[in-house]
Amino acid sequence: MRTPMRYPGFKRLLKLAVRPRAVEQDVDEELRFHLEMRAAAHEREGLSPTEARAAAEREFGDVASVREECVRIGHERERKMKRFLLWDALVQDVRYALRMLRHAPGFALVAVLTLGLGIGATTAIFSVVRGVLMRPLPFAEPERLVRMWQANPSQGVARGEVSPLDFADWKARQRSFEDMGTWWYVEGMSGSNLSGDGEPQRLPAAYVNDGFFSTLGVAPVLGRALLAGEHQPGHNAVAVISHGLWQRRFGGDRTLLGRTLTLDGLPITVVGVMPPGFSFPSERVDVWLSDSLIEESGIPRQRQVRWQSVVARLKPGVSLETARTEMNGVARQLAEEYPATNVQTSAVTVVPLHEAVTGDVRAGLMVLLGAVGFLLLIACVNVANLMLTRATARERELAVRAALGAGPVRLMGQLLTESLVLALLGGAFGLLLAVWGTELLLAFSVKQLPRLHEVRVDGAVLGFAMGATLFTGVLFGLLPALRAGSPQLAPVLKAAGRGTAGGGGARLRGALVVTEVALAVVLMAGAGLAVRSLMSLLSVEPGFRAEGAVVVSFSSSPAGRTSRQYLAEVLERVREVPGVQVAGTTRNLPLEGSGEPAPLVLPGQSQESAADAPRVNYLFVSNDYFRAMGIPLLRGRAFTTLDREGPPAMMVNDAFVRRFFPGEDVVGKAIQWGDATAPIVGVVGDVRQESLSEPAPPLVYVHVLQQSRSSVNLVVRGEGAPLQLAAAVRQAIWSVNPNQTITRITTLEEVVGGSVARPRLIAALLGLFAVLALVLGAVGIYGVLAYTVGQRQREIGVRLALGARPAEVLGMVLRNGMRLAGLGVALGVAGALVLSRVMSSILFGVAPHDPLTFGAVAVVLLGVALVACLVPARRAMRVDPAVSLRAE
Amino acid sequence: MAGDSLELMQGTLDVLILKSLSWGPLHGYAVAEVVRERSGEELKVEEGALYPALHRLEKRGLLEAEWGLSENNRRAKFYRLTSAGRAHLRAETQAWQRYVAAVSRVLEAA
Repeated sequence: MRTPMRYPGFKRLLKLAVRPRAVEQDVDEELRFHLEMRAAAHEREGLSPTEARAAAEREFGDVASVREECVRIGHERERKMKRFLLWDALVQDVRYALRMLRHAPGFALVAVLTLGLGIGATTAIFSVVRGVLMRPLPFAEPERLVRMWQANPSQGVARGEVSPLDFADWKARQRSFEDMGTWWYVEGMSGSNLSGDGEPQRLPAAYVNDGFFSTLGVAPVLGRALLAGEHQPGHNAVAVISHGLWQRRFGGDRTLLGRTLTLDGLPITVVGVMPPGFSFPSERVDVWLSDSLIEESGIPRQRQVRWQSVVARLKPGVSLETARTEMNGVARQLAEEYPATNVQTSAVTVVPLHEAVTGDVRAGLMVLLGAVGFLLLIACVNVANLMLTRATARERELAVRAALGAGPVRLMGQLLTESLVLALLGGAFGLLLAVWGTELLLAFSVKQLPRLHEVRVDGAVLGFAMGATLFTGVLFGLLPALRAGSPQLAPVLKAAGRGTAGGGGARLRGALVVTEVALAVVLMAGAGLAVRSLMSLLSVEPGFRAEGAVVVSFSSSPAGRTSRQYLAEVLERVREVPGVQVAGTTRNLPLEGSGEPAPLVLPGQSQESAADAPRVNYLFVSNDYFRAMGIPLLRGRAFTTLDREGPPAMMVNDAFVRRFFPGEDVVGKAIQWGDATAPIVGVVGDVRQESLSEPAPPLVYVHVLQQSRSSVNLVVRGEGAPLQLAAAVRQAIWSVNPNQTITRITTLEEVVGGSVARPRLIAALLGLFAVLALVLGAVGIYGVLAYTVGQRQREIGVRLALGARPAEVLGMVLRNGMRLAGLGVALGVAGALVLSRVMSSILFGVAPHDPLTFGAVAVVLLGVALVACLVPARRAMRVDPAVSLRAE
Repeated sequence: MAGDSLELMQGTLDVLILKSLSWGPLHGYAVAEVVRERSGEELKVEEGALYPALHRLEKRGLLEAEWGLSENNRRAKFYRLTSAGRAHLRAETQAWQRYVAAVSRVLEAA
């Protein structure tokens, strides 16, 4: 028998366990003893017993008050002792736990790594979820803010923009809102070129009304916001700029207020600087300008010209429901009063601003958070398993300690301390991973998530990590500790030295392995679905050829240079660039949005009936756009240079034909374009314009040079490396206008990649979690089987000695392991079938119960389990019967 | 005897207790007796103050107590110096000696 471990402080603990005699009793006895001794001395001097006793008490003084004081000190001492012993016990436990871990470095390493991964991954995802979904928006009382859209129920449009005329009526007729603001901002489109003050620079700009800042409840840190009716034609426009721009471009110069900048060739006076962190409607916005500038630029002031986004602040105490009812009433009134323009837009969509900002990422993030939670659970189960295995191996040691008088509470405390020490080490490692992982996550997902600049590892995230750590510590400490709390002392002590495994322990470990495998299956199924979804997205035929084309985006200055001539000149120069085969332009690239919806009016229909007309998207493209994009011409002809100046011609896509002229030849038919009638000259193939997951919308293409539009995506196809080509194209643009700012240079393939960036991020993260889960599951199965084989070595030896063939032993161990794995897979598949439903909103082209995915997951997990079983099984097969019997 | 014995200063009692115990564990009565005898019957410990002092010293961790049998086979509480108590005694003894020497120098100056 090996020497039992020495437990420092153990004797002291035993002493504490013996209930101390009451302090009062002690003091009484001590004082009585003293008085009796003194009385005896007096008797020896010749006094009578009564006299001796009286003399002793006289000499002593006030016995009662001395007793009282001694008792008081005694109680204080006891309290101090208890505190000391508790602290001492904790220190001892921690020290002991650390020593145990040092003696089992492999176990400690696996446990800390496992937990660190679980806690780190969970914390990283949580920090993103918190920043994006949970932090309140950085506005005053953000819970009262709502976003509003004009809805068009008959065409299934829930979120349409609003015209200034409708907005004015909304504002005048409602009573639910304290304040209402509007803006116009389109990513990559609305912006101004800052010139004349150093290097020309493109500034993303939002065009807002005077209620915009007051509705959000954020005031400038410097200067003031825009005022109502401030901008008068013929006067300088005014601007509020972002804190970032103020610092970057003007070095935080306070004298900037009142200075005049040149934006798009117009003089603009800076009147205010917003506080740092104010970034609405986008973190990219650097300048807020009055939206009267837009109307001035020639947008007709009509009810059906809808371009404003609306934010509003509910009055205190007004419910969302009340506001909805009221706004729908207003919309119905307007529909009655202006049937020509408003008959279809008879409803208003009112959504809390927070939901509007984060709505489309919520599902994906919650799936990720759930998945990472599963990973943490798997890590816990794995470590619990390890702990349990160790606890079983240490049963004898625990039994000895229990026999020595350590109560069950002490033993459980000791084991829990070990778990917590492990959890804290794992948590520290996890926190490192979390900080690092969050940064990595941010770097990879800048474009895919809103509010990312608000993501950080802050107090709440740290609290979460701490919570996760303590939770895991208790969770995986609990099982072994509970078992240790009630070790059946007698049998264990009797068996001491013979190394048997407790049967209950084996069952519990089996259950843990089953749990672990089941959790891994759920995670892998989720990841599998996400990957399949991504694959079906990527296999969607986008309708154009992405390879080999370069995109150069720019926005030509509206002042003087917007002319069609400018764009025509640029296109001509670009075509002359060596290596360029074809170049075309479009307002809206595929996968980046459909452009402007407008009513489709056929010749003979009155403009008044336009409100009832179906809406289609009009796209402005140049001659060679279709060739540059590789979009096939199905019928008719493409635009030619003649369409530039001559009477307008239109082209449509196949979806348009199917929707409006099914089975007919549309070439030669006409569409009303303003006052003119425009013939349809050709039909091209469908292009996924919104995203890969949405079908191609009906489109009407208009020759770009029929319209002066400021934002242009130049698509160039040619020979040579794409980026070299792009550089040459840029030079060609600059040769026409050296002040032209280029907003982006990319390839069509990157545009496609960008459109699937979010599903790709989710699939990649889920995949990573799934691989970790698989590894942890394999480690779990291997660990348990290896342990079992070790424990059963003697039994296996006996079997082999009695003539069992090694193959039978191998089979026995394999069956044992695969039974656990199989049960886990079955349970996991059942669980995944239920849980994968929550993913349906982020899946594309794959059912949440996709049999192929589930089958593949089951096969992969069983395969990995088989490998994990094989190693211990082969070891069992090679057990030497002689050796194991002799050991007996 | 009671009339002309010296009064003990506060703090002196503690040192005397520690010193008494430095020769071995004693119960409270014995501590009082030892101090009386060793001082040549000059010092008399006030018994009412002795026990609170013992308990305070125990609370401070300078003494440890254990129940045992007295010389006449009675149950008695025996006090023993802890290592902290021993160190404390050393320090106090030195301080006391310096104090006595200093006072003496002043008093003996012509």
